[in-house]
Amino acid sequence: MKKRFYALLIGLGIYVTAFASVQSAQAALGESADSITSDRLSLSAVQGVTTTLNGYTIHTIESDATKVREYISPNGVVFGIAWNGLIHPDLTPLLGSYAGEYQEALRQTPRKPGRRRLQVKTDHIVVEKWGHMRNLQGRAYAPALIPPGVSIDEIK
Amino acid sequence: MKSSNKLILLAIFTLMTGCGSGSSGDSGGSVALANNMLSITVNGSLCSGNSYLNKPCVSVTVCTPGTSACQTISDILLDTGSSGLRIFKQALNVPLTQVVVGTGLIAECTQYGDGSSEWGPIQTASVILGNEPAVQVPIQVVDATFATAPVTCQNADQNPAAAGYNGILGIGVFNQDCGLACANSAANGMYYSCSGSSCVGAAVALSSQAQNPVSLLPWDNNGAIVQLPSVPPGGSPSINGTLVLGIGTQSDNVPSGVTGYATNQFGEIATILNGISYSSIIDSGSNGLFFTPPSTSLLPNCPSPDSDWFCPSSTTTLSASNMGASGSQRGVLSFQIGNFNDLISSSNNVFADVGGSSTGQLDWGLPFYLGRNVYVGIEGKGSSLGSGPYWGY
Repeated sequence: MKKRFYALLIGLGIYVTAFASVQSAQAALGESADSITSDRLSLSAVQGVTTTLNGYTIHTIESDATKVREYISPNGVVFGIAWNGLIHPDLTPLLGSYAGEYQEALRQTPRKPGRRRLQVKTDHIVVEKWGHMRNLQGRAYAPALIPPGVSIDEIK
Repeated sequence: MKSSNKLILLAIFTLMTGCGSGSSGDSGGSVALANNMLSITVNGSLCSGNSYLNKPCVSVTVCTPGTSACQTISDILLDTGSSGLRIFKQALNVPLTQVVVGTGLIAECTQYGDGSSEWGPIQTASVILGNEPAVQVPIQVVDATFATAPVTCQNADQNPAAAGYNGILGIGVFNQDCGLACANSAANGMYYSCSGSSCVGAAVALSSQAQNPVSLLPWDNNGAIVQLPSVPPGGSPSINGTLVLGIGTQSDNVPSGVTGYATNQFGEIATILNGISYSSIIDSGSNGLFFTPPSTSLLPNCPSPDSDWFCPSSTTTLSASNMGASGSQRGVLSFQIGNFNDLISSSNNVFADVGGSSTGQLDWGLPFYLGRNVYVGIEGKGSSLGSGPYWGY
């Protein structure tokens, strides 16, 4: 668990160095809470309330289209994201370094007509979408980054 | 006089049986329909071949506004979980009138719960439902190649085969697909104004948004009733039913013994299952009953690739309570979940007892409609069941 976290930090260092100039493409999941500012920019959103619960923090980023909640562990890493609104947000900036593996897994997920939900699992993250017109919802989380004692059900 | 009527009926009956297809009601619905009725087939003749299971289909007539150039299109999904008519460009062969905002062409990115999306311009069509008078309705022409789609619609459905239907008739509880949120903000994420190939977010007046065609009818505009028969435990190859327009507006659509459940601002009611309260919708466009199972040993998922369906060892009966959003109405119902893999091993396509696991929301999909008349009450309009938006059954 710890090893993974440090590996992630190293990965994050490389990511930030490589893409520092592309500000609006900065990402959140698995990264430091600082990336919230860039998520806010890429979502054209207003940063709202910050709530502390069960040791972790929830930052809310609200736009007219979607409300995004980012779940931040005590060590400052975003371990989950949830949203609801008129649309599912563009997940690329929100998933950050995981966006590539998500897109790849999504391509391999067969279309299932008649469904109002989707679950995509990669090696590192789980992305779920559900809901209906006017209330589209979803969440994404990195199971290995969820702090001890926190249930997946809390990411909502 | 009477005997000649009988002769005509006999002739019609002979024609019907002459068509020869086996299913009992196959053509029964299409003869005696009142002006405010449309035939529904779940799978069956109004759906394309190879349709996915539990798919309710209707046909809709669209015309170029102000002309007699009309086209009747079938394989249109009847969807109470959305509002607005959407038709794939590939299925349309009559020109429609582009809706504009300023000098820009209005286009929409319509997203669904499963992450799929539809992109294309909003155009006005003259739409005929059943034998109702034609109404002028902004609809979405689904066209993934229109201008440049926003990033949220980059994987939008390309054609009817990809989506599984020629179009969607959204007759949900709202007048428009988006409503005030898209009239008040350009950053609504759904509506765009396009010039050439470039599109930017746009605030769009309610009257220019994709409209629920039912709400624009001259008389039968306060909602609709979806009437579908029940199916035997093992399912049916296809069934026929009726979409009745209006609630209590004609002698054929008066509710009796029906409870109305007012919805919240999202068109949702509440359902209590296993002591937990979920927000829920009664959605003909979902092809199963989707909910969080009381226990995974009671309702295990099927093996891959059908793991989004339940495969219990035997058919399981559950009970739930539906409540109006205000909490004032409450009704208990029981439902059954069978083994999905066993059920689909037959040649049947319509099943009352298929469901799958979900988080967050409870989705009373098409199986809920089988053997029930479900009333969809449109916002801002009333009937003896209450003020819309509401669900009734």
